[in-house]
Amino acid sequence: MSEGADLTEFVAAYLVETEEHLGVANSQLLAIEASLRKGESNPRALRETFRALHTIKGLSSMVGVEPVVEIAHRMETFLRDFDREGSPLPTRAVDVLLRGVRAIGQRIASLGSGTAVAPPPQELITEFDTLGAPLPQDQKPLLDLDLEPELLAKLAPFELAQLRTASEKACRALRVDFLPSPARAAEGFTINSVRERLAGLGEVVKALPLAVPVSTEAPGGLAFALLLVSDAADDVIAQAVGIAPNAVKSLLARSLAVGVDPSERALPPELVEDERPGPRQAVVRVDVRRLDDAMERLSALIVTRFRLARAIAELGADGADTRAIQQVMSDSARELRDLRAAIVAVRMVPVAELLERIPLLVRGLCRHTERAVKLELEAGNAELDKAVSERLFPVIVHLVRNAVDHAIESPDERVRRGKPREGLLRVSCSSRSNTRLELSISDDGRGIDREAVARKAGRPTPASDQALLDLLCIPGLSTRSTVTTTSGRGMGMEIVKRIVIDDLGGELELVSTFGVGTRFLLRVPLTISIVDAFSFECEGQRFVVPVSTVEEIVEIDAALVSYSPMPRGDQPRVGIIARRGKAIPLLMLSELFQLGPPRSVTAKAIVVRRAGQPLAFGVDRMLGQQEVVIRPIDDALIRSPGVTGATDLGDGKPTLVLDLSQIGAAYAALEVAAAE
Amino acid sequence: MSSILVVDDSKVMRDMVVACLRGIPGVEFAHASSGLEAIERLSLAKFELMVLDLNMPDIGGLEVLEFVRGQDLLSKLPILVVTTRGDEASRAHVLAAGASGFLAKPFTPDAIIAEVEALLLRGTGPAS
Repeated sequence: MSEGADLTEFVAAYLVETEEHLGVANSQLLAIEASLRKGESNPRALRETFRALHTIKGLSSMVGVEPVVEIAHRMETFLRDFDREGSPLPTRAVDVLLRGVRAIGQRIASLGSGTAVAPPPQELITEFDTLGAPLPQDQKPLLDLDLEPELLAKLAPFELAQLRTASEKACRALRVDFLPSPARAAEGFTINSVRERLAGLGEVVKALPLAVPVSTEAPGGLAFALLLVSDAADDVIAQAVGIAPNAVKSLLARSLAVGVDPSERALPPELVEDERPGPRQAVVRVDVRRLDDAMERLSALIVTRFRLARAIAELGADGADTRAIQQVMSDSARELRDLRAAIVAVRMVPVAELLERIPLLVRGLCRHTERAVKLELEAGNAELDKAVSERLFPVIVHLVRNAVDHAIESPDERVRRGKPREGLLRVSCSSRSNTRLELSISDDGRGIDREAVARKAGRPTPASDQALLDLLCIPGLSTRSTVTTTSGRGMGMEIVKRIVIDDLGGELELVSTFGVGTRFLLRVPLTISIVDAFSFECEGQRFVVPVSTVEEIVEIDAALVSYSPMPRGDQPRVGIIARRGKAIPLLMLSELFQLGPPRSVTAKAIVVRRAGQPLAFGVDRMLGQQEVVIRPIDDALIRSPGVTGATDLGDGKPTLVLDLSQIGAAYAALEVAAAE
Repeated sequence: MSSILVVDDSKVMRDMVVACLRGIPGVEFAHASSGLEAIERLSLAKFELMVLDLNMPDIGGLEVLEFVRGQDLLSKLPILVVTTRGDEASRAHVLAAGASGFLAKPFTPDAIIAEVEALLLRGTGPAS
């Protein structure tokens, strides 16, 4: 093995990239299914699915995940035959393929979590043999396209058909030639940028290289012929490619006969400019931990700045002229704020990405429950902190499940009630402010039966929607007495409440009209901060402390603790414990917080560092280690030095997050004790 | 310095290829994520070798091969095709289309280094 060429280092990147390809395969398969329902084939989606699987197969073989290679290979060979013939897939095949994608996803997830990768599911693999073969398609000669024969020969039947039927969709089939050169590249015109800009104006059906005589315009002797269907005006297209408008050529004699005057179509350039989506930005996917790391380093920088500010204040107090430095300091404060905002912005992910998996979920639910549901997703440009988004996803899944499983009636029942056969499920969101996102999940189903809920809970019938919501969030309440395969007893509304309100510090609202529909409204903060923390108990009260601030957790032998002779005034007792031959001060947290009488027995001590010196805090017992969401404490009455914020350990009660070294700073006696 | 153009739409795969080849003295790398971009880069700058994937959006590796071999300036460029289709028929097909070398995925770092070093030494077009 050569040095530096260990391919196992690519596993993380492999996980990220294959997830993208699996996403493509899923969405393209759903597109194929939608086309099949309309009686159309979708050869382009078929080819994209094929390519995604082929890439997954290649990458998996490099990383050595054989089961994935085998599944992807079977799916790919199945699709290849249909791709070659340009023939539509059998309807049943979409389902089998989706199961294949899921099987691949599960195995890749196992690899990611370091557990054993399951062997390929043999039933699924043999099921492909039962799906039938493609039917040969009639290949009608298409002679009415104005193209050189060598280009014509390179087009697949479906691409020819797409160009030819453009005029039926009020589009035109066009050809533009792009000549790449270093000068054009310097102006921002490369084949990739041109293709992306054109993709924003229509669909690029095919792009082909052409050899041309070497000239100043074509120093590489190369041109690209781009064939597209678009309803944009010639000058707009020409601008995207950086050519003269008269160089945009129509491919079909027929489309001219339709009689569209290009000048009539042309919009003022500034309007067109606004509507056009910009070229797709380059995207980098980053492990959230790296961002947390960056944020932590920034915090250290802020602390250093405070120390610097203090030092400058001391200089000023000694009579030095610090005005020039003060100016620099205020610039630096502003820059630090900007930097913080920039790091926070990096953590934001589009909500649209979060909702990507919902169509697949709804499709599966509809199958199991025999419901017909039309799903409308509207995410706009809203963005959300990755950490919030991860916590919110199970909530959305739960509410969507409930809507399909319980709320939306069966098609027959809906018709009986005079509703459209297909139920409507809408998931939409908007950023209400710079700090909150509003997410709405609504259906036009049967609404919630208040009386049934009340009976079930053994409470009076709730008078308002808010009271109904409170009732629904009582742990263990389910309005269905049977366990269904899709919703199960799974996660009840109480978990929804716990995540949205207790964990994320958001709000939950319900509007439900019996017989008409239900709407859940969630308002959640756009960002949260999360730390890995130890939880512990003192006199029955729980606290947490960030793991990063803890140096060590030690056992205390009560018999070996000695106490400083005389606590002064309201100062607490300071004990001394020996740690690796050195004496370090020990404070009892229960005494500091006046939680109870001083105890002589304390089991554990948490050691932190303050101004470089170790300092121990005695606690009753350690409870565990977990990731917690820190919510700032806005109430000035509760705010106190040494308390960073509050969190919820899952019991619904607020738990304080402590900064022990800051608490230590409040007790100056410690240093005296340590010196003794 | 020998410039190597690594063509694959999968960034992970391009990075893997570069990681394997980085140890060869005197080489530098450029990336292309599609067949058309590969052709554009080849027409605008000089490369000593291209490592080419077959499965790509827009035009596939075989079309790239066919086009490149039809260009006078590029007819001698050493091209190593790297593909998941590792069977003999594919190999014959790819070599007939003008590839200088053929490597099936999965490959080991040593295998691709050996291929690339041999092609850089030989420095000429299609396999004989």
